[in-house]
Amino acid sequence: MIDTAIVIGIIRILFVCIIITAAYIISTRNLLSVVSVYALQSLTLVAIAISLFSLEGSIVLLEIALVTFFSKVIIIPYFIATIQEKIRIKRDIEFHYLNPTSSLLLSMVLMLVIYMALSKIVPETPAHNSLFLFGAVLGISLMLMGMMVTFSRKRAITKVLGFLSMENGVLLFGMFVTELPFIIEFLIIIDLIILVILTAVLSVGIDSTLEDYHKRLHQFHLLKDSEEN
Amino acid sequence: MILILFIIAIFVLLAGTIFPLITASLDRKFIRTTSLSFIIVSSILLGIFSFINLISGESVLFTVYQPIKLFSLSFEIDRLSSFFLLLTSIVSACVAIYFTEYIEHMDGNSRRNLLCSSTCLFILAMVLVIASANTLSFFLFWELMAASSFLLVTYEYTREETKKAGIFYFIMTQLSSLFVLLGIIILFVITNSFAFLHLATSSVPLVTIAFLALFTGFSIKAGIIPFHKWLPYAHPASPSPISALMSGVMLKVAVYGLVRFLLDVFTPDVSWGVLILIAGTVSAVLGIIYALKEHDVKMMLAYSSIENIGVIFIGIGLSIIFTASNLPLLATISLLGALFHSLNHAIFKSLLFLTAGSVVSATNTRDIEHMGGLAHRMPVTSAFFFVGAVSIAALPPLNGFASELLIFIAFFTSVAVVNPLFKVLLFISIALFALTSALSASCFVKAFGSIFLAMPRSPESTDAHEVPSAMLIGPGILAAACILLGVFALQIFTVVGFAVPLPDMLFVSILLVGMAVFTYLVLYFTASHEVRVSETWGCGLLSQKASAEYSGHGFSEPLDVIFSAIYRTRIKNERKFFDQKSCLFKEGSGEIRLLKVFEEYLYHPIAKYSMKGARFVARFQNGCLDTYLLYVFVAVIALIIFLGWFA
Repeated sequence: MIDTAIVIGIIRILFVCIIITAAYIISTRNLLSVVSVYALQSLTLVAIAISLFSLEGSIVLLEIALVTFFSKVIIIPYFIATIQEKIRIKRDIEFHYLNPTSSLLLSMVLMLVIYMALSKIVPETPAHNSLFLFGAVLGISLMLMGMMVTFSRKRAITKVLGFLSMENGVLLFGMFVTELPFIIEFLIIIDLIILVILTAVLSVGIDSTLEDYHKRLHQFHLLKDSEEN
Repeated sequence: MILILFIIAIFVLLAGTIFPLITASLDRKFIRTTSLSFIIVSSILLGIFSFINLISGESVLFTVYQPIKLFSLSFEIDRLSSFFLLLTSIVSACVAIYFTEYIEHMDGNSRRNLLCSSTCLFILAMVLVIASANTLSFFLFWELMAASSFLLVTYEYTREETKKAGIFYFIMTQLSSLFVLLGIIILFVITNSFAFLHLATSSVPLVTIAFLALFTGFSIKAGIIPFHKWLPYAHPASPSPISALMSGVMLKVAVYGLVRFLLDVFTPDVSWGVLILIAGTVSAVLGIIYALKEHDVKMMLAYSSIENIGVIFIGIGLSIIFTASNLPLLATISLLGALFHSLNHAIFKSLLFLTAGSVVSATNTRDIEHMGGLAHRMPVTSAFFFVGAVSIAALPPLNGFASELLIFIAFFTSVAVVNPLFKVLLFISIALFALTSALSASCFVKAFGSIFLAMPRSPESTDAHEVPSAMLIGPGILAAACILLGVFALQIFTVVGFAVPLPDMLFVSILLVGMAVFTYLVLYFTASHEVRVSETWGCGLLSQKASAEYSGHGFSEPLDVIFSAIYRTRIKNERKFFDQKSCLFKEGSGEIRLLKVFEEYLYHPIAKYSMKGARFVARFQNGCLDTYLLYVFVAVIALIIFLGWFA
């Protein structure tokens, strides 16, 4: 077996990778690279799961790694990349509430706040467990950063990517801290919202912003326009 | 044993509520008559029950339903409840008798069945409010009363005026419920129980807040100024018998609530008494001053209700001040005065509303300037209205005089005994109270004169006829009650077991009748019996027209001048021009109207600011998904911060 210290060192490096990918997703305007970065992020998660397995030996972690690899590294990015090819939108230039720079700054502050909050909640533990604290902090931060993407971007496709990145955060959190009914329940609700949007947007056209999509529904008489009547 | 009467009465009222609902689609007279007869039967049963209870002074307590330990649906009928039940039953019975005929002249076909049903429900709710043994069931039935009365007010919902009045009434009545509920919740927090538990102290701020909340709630319902504005809107909008019920009974239920909480729960502080006294005095004076200016007969009666509720509150306030000043006898006298005035006001005000309803249905107008000459055309109605007017004007020997006299006596005897600061307050209060009595006399002289005397001022009043007998029996009973309660006031108090310093009104009335007979006889024997036929001098005019008569407006003109500071007018000029520089005059309108002080300076600003607040809150719901996600985001961060630092 590999030395524990080395594994912990690897995991720390992977943490940094995750932060970098998250920051990239938040700040970039180039839509094409967002998908590949997302795939990279998921791959990092797979690597973390495998490293943790070598540390703890729990089979569940291996399963997680496997599922994540196939779904998030291969299938979903492939699916989104296909759509992107069809809609031919390369850049994201419309934002709500936060522009990329300020979201980046905000996410830095957030990470700090979450770290301080969690270190107060989780009692002082030996060095080994500080890894788990970091995992939890990163998980929540990733989730919030993903959420920031969902509400600050206007393009439906970036919203979806933000949401997927949120799910990565949950996964990360789940790997380091077990049992978290609140966040899971909470994400399921958002899951539903996004699912509805996804299906609707996919059926009408994904190149639109949500406002456009609303107009199209009126156009196709899928929604009754009360103002007209 | 007599409890069975109460239970039967409740079930009969329930049957009266349900029966017209089952047959709601049938437009038959017998359905309505049956439903209203249920009211009459239950009122008689309730009347007997409450009378026996009032005389014996026993308290009846029973529980109907207890789902959890803290709350039970239970009723307790002691002397105070019996008294108010008696009041309710007398008025309800007379109104129901009147209503059987009145309802047949109303529009709405089978919808009238629902009107009967809601009337039953309304009376049922009022009875149960009075009988409630704990605060929570009190509130439940209070809310039922509010809801059913709203249905009654908005019966003629197609009229624009009624719609406005309905919404106004609904908001005010819900505000009242809100304050009552707040008071009840605070009391629950203090005592941890919904029962009417006695609190020995009044110095805790929470207790004072509870009192203020309850006082505000009951004041809104009772129509104390400045919460009175719903009365002049709701009364003209609703059918006359409903106005009679609302003004006669519902306002008294609010009075009952206040008295019940003051006697059973609180140990009132003297400042509370001052508050109630001031509120009462202001309502009494302003109420009658506004009534003087009204030409809509039902609006005038509504304002006069505000005045009378003011008088009742004066009695209650005095009673608290005297209790706090350690003068139990005076406190009892003023409280008895207030309660007796509640009964009297219920009777004469419902009498006046019913007779006004007859007049309105005969002439098709509520404007007293378009009436006149009805004394010949509707002699019985006019006689009943006269009795009511004399009672409300507090002229001896009728009941209004007896109860106001009690309060006056309490005032007079107190002046020498309480501390100087209160003395000043009481002096001012008694002066204003005396003014109120005088003004109310002049108000009803004007009303009676304009409605019934002289020549008819409109074709409708020329063609008016006396109403059917059922519409005379109800007011007839009430008129008889006015006379009996006045003449036998002292005897009634003796039977109930209170010694009050009232003069023997029987003696006074014999004296008055004797004087009248004597004067008549003297005049009869001394005056010349020669008949002289000639034409009245008509100021040089060839023919006398009704429009040249002395009108109600003219009658109240001197008072208008005296109180011109209160009757402030608002002058509005609007001009439109053809050009932008305002040179070529296109059209214009001018208006001088009475300033609605409370509406314009209190109600409208409050409404405006609440709308502003509502619009501000509504902005948070902007229909954009991103915004909602932002809220979630902010909420999660707030939660994390809370968990980290405050949990």
